[in-house]
Amino acid sequence: MRLYEFEAKRLFKKHGIPVLDSVLVDENSFEELEKVTYPVVVKAQTFIGGRGKAGLIKPADNRKDAENKIKNMLGRKHGAFEIKSVLVEKKVEVEREVYIAATIDRLEHKPVLILSNKGGIDIEETARQSPDAIFKYYINPGGKVLPFFGRKCAAKLGFKGPLLNKCAGIVVKLYSLFLNLDCKLVEINPLALTKTGGIFALDAKVNLDEDAMFRHPELKELGITARHEVGELTEREKFAKSKGIPYVDLDGDIGVFPGGAGFGIAAIDLIQYYGGKPANFMDSGGAPTQEKLRAMLGLLIENPRVKAIFGARFGGISRCDDWAKALVQYVKENRPEKPMIMRMTGNMEEEGRKILEQAKRDEPELFKKIKVYSVDTPIEEVIKETIRAAAECK
Amino acid sequence: MSIIIDENTKTIIQGITGRNASLHTKFMLEYGTKIVGGVTPGKGGQEVAGVKVYDTVAECLSEVPDAAVSSIWVPPQFAKDAILEAIDAGIKTVVVITERIPIHDMLYVRDAAKERGVMVIGGNTPGLISPGKALVGMLPKITFRPGRIGTVARSGAITYYLANSLNLAGFGESTSVGLGGDPILGANFEDILKLFEGDSETDAVVMAGEIGGVYEELAAPYIRKMSKPVIAYITGKAAPQGKRLGHAGAIIEGDMGTAKSKIEALSSNGAYIAETLSEIPELVKKALGG
Repeated sequence: MRLYEFEAKRLFKKHGIPVLDSVLVDENSFEELEKVTYPVVVKAQTFIGGRGKAGLIKPADNRKDAENKIKNMLGRKHGAFEIKSVLVEKKVEVEREVYIAATIDRLEHKPVLILSNKGGIDIEETARQSPDAIFKYYINPGGKVLPFFGRKCAAKLGFKGPLLNKCAGIVVKLYSLFLNLDCKLVEINPLALTKTGGIFALDAKVNLDEDAMFRHPELKELGITARHEVGELTEREKFAKSKGIPYVDLDGDIGVFPGGAGFGIAAIDLIQYYGGKPANFMDSGGAPTQEKLRAMLGLLIENPRVKAIFGARFGGISRCDDWAKALVQYVKENRPEKPMIMRMTGNMEEEGRKILEQAKRDEPELFKKIKVYSVDTPIEEVIKETIRAAAECK
Repeated sequence: MSIIIDENTKTIIQGITGRNASLHTKFMLEYGTKIVGGVTPGKGGQEVAGVKVYDTVAECLSEVPDAAVSSIWVPPQFAKDAILEAIDAGIKTVVVITERIPIHDMLYVRDAAKERGVMVIGGNTPGLISPGKALVGMLPKITFRPGRIGTVARSGAITYYLANSLNLAGFGESTSVGLGGDPILGANFEDILKLFEGDSETDAVVMAGEIGGVYEELAAPYIRKMSKPVIAYITGKAAPQGKRLGHAGAIIEGDMGTAKSKIEALSSNGAYIAETLSEIPELVKKALGG
């Protein structure tokens, strides 16, 4: 989970990594500008990079100037994100910039420290064009970066004397923050040496491991909790989130009601491969409750774009009988008219099938457009039939 | 032969008293898996589905010293400790059903396992099955039939669909292995491909990968060295753009992790690429000269 720059800098401050004085301003807190000394830099807060090029980092000489620039940024879009706050930070004269990051090398399965004395610019470009300017040090999982190693890194970055010790301290603290807070990435780009001899993290990127947040109550104290970070949510995505359902709206007309995430991804591929257009991505999770399954169906049926529904349930840890019960209950309560072409097999299938057959006997008219195939029908046939059904609705 | 497990493999279940673990222990026993003990700290002396529960893995192994596999069903905050306990006690294969294990924990576990020559499968794996012989995990037995095709996949449901697709075309599986869906895994594609290559009861291997991570690309060069054909199925070609890596990630992994880079790496090393599930058995036939 990525953090905003201001959140990452709060963590830095708490962990002894030097950052510049700053205030956070949103549409309701312009009075924060009382607290700063000019000139300042106004920096839009978004998860994604490229802010400079997009005109979202601007210097300001006085309060009026700052206010204008802030007003201009708030509410603008950067990628999929709306800018809701800006960080107003003291402006400094920079002498030189370096790059420091700790991350996980998934090829080596080890944490790695990455350093470069060419910071500030596009570091990926540096890695590509002059790989010699990038230094990598692997750390054993669970191991620490000791002070001597910090000094080795600082020397590699070209620091000497008191600055070497300061930089070494930052490397050690950056790594301990990375390890102790279960981060996937901690990046300072640039770490700047100012003309007056100070050394500061001018930008801060922290990416947390969401699966480890349970053991870090200090994050909660700083107001950092698990959240959606891919972009702005549609109404349906917001509703899905409130029900704990991973859901992404797409622009097609076939509602996809799958089991796990892996097949959810495959289903989108297969529908496109056979010429259909999926309306969504969705994941039911390990063993969904009936309430969750009903909410999932609701997301598809209430979407006016959706013409037909493709469902697939392969009972492993989840149970076919739960799935069938939820389906029957939903159909009885909501009396949907859209065709649903589904396939159900796996654990507790026989029980599930009895539930569906009973429902069909009770209300044949209501279940007329609902077909539930089993293990002997290839999943592709079910998909093709759903695509045909959606086309007929046009 | 089959790989990793067969009808004689003695297995223990850590976290056996949990709701899912106790249900699936029953299913595994019904399938024929030799479950020789369970472990839940503080619940030693109880029984689950007729299986004796111990407080520690060491205690369990003192009574059944030849247990070879432990399956982990504990909550994620205890998973690292439970896996290390199994390794410490001398278990050689650990099958980790637990999902969402913290990344730094898994890195640590991988190191410890490597040092002791232990294979850790998962986390977030549905488990593995050698049809007709043994099942460790939660896979639905209905879809798996004995045969001569090995399968290995990252996603649980895809593991089931692979078997389903093969079975509809008349093939069966020697062993089906779920690698697991967590970002950092114990065993990877290459580890399992090596086992299938050495298995006299496997004629061809189907591997199913997906966008994200780099395990498919890392396995690609080994495919070239194999004598057995590999059929690969990669999903996520049409997936919406997800999260972008940070700078540091991009420095290391470059353009790896996309469906395109995976397919290129696999096909340039001699794997057959299936576009759909039903194409898989057709390619198996072709690869086996049938």
